[in-house]
Amino acid sequence: MSWLLRRNMLPLHSNSLARRPFASPLPLPPASLPSPRETHIWYVVPDELKDASLLYQYMELLSPCERQSVLRMNGERLQKGALLARALVRTTLARYTDGRLSPKSFKFQKNRFGKPEVEWDKYDLWAPPPLQFNISHTSTMIACGVTLDLPIGIDIEEKQRKTSNNILSLAHRYFSPVEVAYLKTLADPECRQSEFIRLWTLKEAYVKALGRGFSGTPFKDFTIRLEASNSKQVTGELKSDAPSIVVEAVDDPGILMNRWQFALFELNNSHYTAVCMERDVKNPADGENNSLKLEVWRTLPFVEDECVTETDAVKNIIR
Amino acid sequence: MASISGTAIGTSARPLLAARAQVVKGFSGLKSVSFSIQRKSFPSVRLQAASRRLQVSCVAKPETVQKVCDIVKKQLALSDDTPVTGESKFSTLGADSLDTVEIVMGLEEAFGISVEEESAQSITTVQDAADLIEKLVDAKSS
Repeated sequence: MSWLLRRNMLPLHSNSLARRPFASPLPLPPASLPSPRETHIWYVVPDELKDASLLYQYMELLSPCERQSVLRMNGERLQKGALLARALVRTTLARYTDGRLSPKSFKFQKNRFGKPEVEWDKYDLWAPPPLQFNISHTSTMIACGVTLDLPIGIDIEEKQRKTSNNILSLAHRYFSPVEVAYLKTLADPECRQSEFIRLWTLKEAYVKALGRGFSGTPFKDFTIRLEASNSKQVTGELKSDAPSIVVEAVDDPGILMNRWQFALFELNNSHYTAVCMERDVKNPADGENNSLKLEVWRTLPFVEDECVTETDAVKNIIR
Repeated sequence: MASISGTAIGTSARPLLAARAQVVKGFSGLKSVSFSIQRKSFPSVRLQAASRRLQVSCVAKPETVQKVCDIVKKQLALSDDTPVTGESKFSTLGADSLDTVEIVMGLEEAFGISVEEESAQSITTVQDAADLIEKLVDAKSS
């Protein structure tokens, strides 16, 4: 993206930015904060970006370090993806501050395990919302999940993704025995392929939610599976009828790690998406339905936002 | 025998902060393959540039590096004219966590070695992978 670097050094050409003034991109419509059991997901499809001047606007939102990181990516496609990812995180978070914080003003830090998080400034008359976020991307989509004060992990993979190695070889190497056994029961290779990818996204989402990194939470040490309906979990809560996704330690089977709840679904007909969120114990659910709630928006920041929660863009949800 | 890996030391003063930014972008244990920014360094020389480093160790043979480049290019479906060298970082080549484990498995198969998880975590560049491979191959044959 050397053309962007050159543009930074040249005087602005108003005709190339005729549609909106460079200095003030369209304000982002404010969004209501996620409720206690909710994950908000904002996703962007890079191929929908046709207007090159938008890339320039997005670049302006980034910190100098982030810009350097973007430019270090190998080739224009990867640079565009990296740029969109940072722009998505910044614009998404800004939406929840009621217009008080601009996308550009956010600062980020790592927690003690290395997971990126917002570094909030202190303000005299306003407490910023304690947002937590996580992002995931493929070459054809970037997704950002946001919660209010709850650890979250999100992972997306293209449904059509093929592995170079044999599925069972990969599973034997990286998955738990229970998961391998499950994959072995699937005779149809395509079914096995897609279940592998879906399980992969769930495991990734869990590791990312924990925030301790792959080495802190080795894939082999935990099992993610479906738990049959109507069973009592450790907390004594009765489950609803549908089977639910649960995680347990390989060394401690049968003791479900109730602290974490999941959602697995298809996004935009193109991607398997897994979300893992810490269960909110401060706000116990009334009634039986304490499963993870989703609100999903497709976005092209500063151009278009569309809430797709109740549409075909969000399908086949398992929680 | 000590030797210097990589190309000539450039004078571009990229601040160390640039290296840290690599981590902010995307998180997953393998997506931004390693969080370690500290590089092995000469006692008397410290490099600050994010993309280059000096290493006092036995470096892998060029053929090994080339083979690793080929495997990486194949896994990431990079075109033949995409420049991939020893210094290339997996993350900047667009490798996600699944790509990285597939690359590790591909390397194990190609070289007849077995890579432990802890070692796999420390690989961030093609050169890292090649050096680790030679270490394991040597250990195997000795």
